[in-house]
Amino acid sequence: MIAMGLSLIFGVMGIINFAHGQMMVMAMYVSYWIFVLLGIDPYLSLVIVAAVIFVLGYLIQSTVVNRILDYPEAMQVLPLVSMGLILENLALLLWGPDHRSPQTALSLAALWIGPVMIDVSRLIAFVLAICITALIFVFLKKTDIGKCIRAASDNRTGAILVGINVNRIYNVSFAIGAATTAAAGVLLLPIMPISPYMGHDFTLIAFIVVILGGMGNLLGALVGGVILGVAESASTLFLPATLKHVVSFSILIIIMLFRPQGIFGGKS
Amino acid sequence: MEKKKNNGINRRTFIKTTGVIGLGVATASFGVPKLLRAAPQTIKIGSVQPATGPLAVIGVGQRRGNQLAADYINSKGGIKSMGGAKLELLLGDSESKPEVGRSEADRLIKDGAVVMTGPFQSGVAMAISTLCEQRQVPFIMDVAALDKITGKGKKYTFRVFITVTGLLNGAVKYLKHVTRLKGVMPKRAVVTNTADPFGKGMSGGFIKFMEKSGLPIKIVERIQYPLGIQDLSAEVARIKAAKPDILFPVSRPGDSIILSRELYKQRVELMGIYGPGSPGYYEPGVIQDLGRLIDYIMVNVPWINPTSPVYQQANAAFRKAHDKYLDTNSAYAYTGVLVIADILERAASTDPDKIIAAARKTDFKDHPVVGGPVRFDEKGDNTGALTALIQVQPDQDLFKRVKVVAPKEFAESGQIVFPWPQLWER
Repeated sequence: MIAMGLSLIFGVMGIINFAHGQMMVMAMYVSYWIFVLLGIDPYLSLVIVAAVIFVLGYLIQSTVVNRILDYPEAMQVLPLVSMGLILENLALLLWGPDHRSPQTALSLAALWIGPVMIDVSRLIAFVLAICITALIFVFLKKTDIGKCIRAASDNRTGAILVGINVNRIYNVSFAIGAATTAAAGVLLLPIMPISPYMGHDFTLIAFIVVILGGMGNLLGALVGGVILGVAESASTLFLPATLKHVVSFSILIIIMLFRPQGIFGGKS
Repeated sequence: MEKKKNNGINRRTFIKTTGVIGLGVATASFGVPKLLRAAPQTIKIGSVQPATGPLAVIGVGQRRGNQLAADYINSKGGIKSMGGAKLELLLGDSESKPEVGRSEADRLIKDGAVVMTGPFQSGVAMAISTLCEQRQVPFIMDVAALDKITGKGKKYTFRVFITVTGLLNGAVKYLKHVTRLKGVMPKRAVVTNTADPFGKGMSGGFIKFMEKSGLPIKIVERIQYPLGIQDLSAEVARIKAAKPDILFPVSRPGDSIILSRELYKQRVELMGIYGPGSPGYYEPGVIQDLGRLIDYIMVNVPWINPTSPVYQQANAAFRKAHDKYLDTNSAYAYTGVLVIADILERAASTDPDKIIAAARKTDFKDHPVVGGPVRFDEKGDNTGALTALIQVQPDQDLFKRVKVVAPKEFAESGQIVFPWPQLWER
């Protein structure tokens, strides 16, 4: 889902959001706050958090990203990397450097089917991730805004010609990308401890997933995510866990060599 | 067409000038610390700690420990032999990287630091120690454990903390103590560690010490994972498959939480968890988040001395200021600055040679940590440094859950719980 947000943003605007992981961390902290201060379980606060990050994404797009759309790639990278640094240090300022991992109602729950253990919070995360993906698909295919987003992504000039307010559409799609990531972050909250510095890793992993699935392809992002997750977990059975990332990056290199457009990538 | 003249202020020049002025004001106020402008006579102590980056939790605690001790000394009238000179802490941030640590130390020395302290990480300590030897600036390390930092003809490097050898000796000693006291002996063990230099070195050393110890505990598997890992389900499945009686983790705060929860979820049966010496199980945040799952975990670690009045005073001040208790690292950071103040008091000078001459004669008892008086041997190591065995036990007050259970003269609770009730039976 993190990858899906990234893929959506890239697919529509051709911009790589280097602040992606940090936005997710922000979402996790907001959800953590809601849990600690108001006692609302992360699964219930998901909608609120997604809305907050939606607004954040909208603001980032309208104030920063829209201005840099026509710049060369190297110059687009810098504002977003710095946005990531700002968010990261903001989290450090607001919540301190500690690892936080509140014990939610389901964070210790496990289902046993014979000798096989199923982690309930992971199961919920998986199911909800698929639901949210489906929702986004429906949104993009059926609603007017969704159609506008696809139009703007297909052909910017064409979209402007038929009277779509492309900048607003960009704002909305960046915000949706951000909200998707936020939802992913909230689902991860019961599974892993948060710290301000974990954003980088997620940006990187999301990036691999996006390349694996095909840049800008949403279904690709979902499948790529599953493939990478399974590959990393399975690798720990016969390789030291320290080599986890070697596995994911090897997959990345192989894909780049033999299918540079990604598994689901169309014409490049 | 006439060229457009512009004598007034247009938008761009306005933004440029205000921007430059704003930036100037901002840097000026950051660059010159308040104390530097106000204080009459000060002695500058450079403190380089990993205040940002993956070890920020610890680094910030270290810095606060240093600062609290400096404030304490100043409130008691500063260094009396030098006319009540106040201690001023110059702060450096190593970002957890040796090369950054070195350049930060260099900057602080240029800014006038006469003694250096820090830096928590052994790699950074090596870099700063080399620099301090070149510049002839005494380096009194508060925390850094790798043996080889001191010795080898180093003149200006001293260590208040314990060495890795001392730490490992303690780990084996207390394990023998617990098994003898309780009359139970685990047979199979799994060692886990984070794959950073500290984690690898510590667990590798522990495995060697265990082989020499004569204890009949067989280490059947060693599992390493990267620092900052987010998921340990596959690793815990491997632990479960190895069927250990006891787990020896060398961990850090983040992975400790995931490890314990995963052990619970996968129902791994153990007699207990015994940490040979690493952070991760005694931070208030971790204890709060893990709740009852953290109970009865034992860790061999240099620790605060709960019976010491110095500790009680410092801890109350620390808790008031930061809502955390002094743990090993912040307490050693506190001790480090106290030792520096004691040395400066006796040296009555900021001359480096007088400082190291006074350092060699140190015999400092009034410190807040478990161990004898701080005395430096010819290598510069503290001969009084000791580890304690701590166990997390149920207590209403979050800040009192970590109990010292050995050695006897420092213990708060004579009760050691081992084997523990299984995680899911609590």
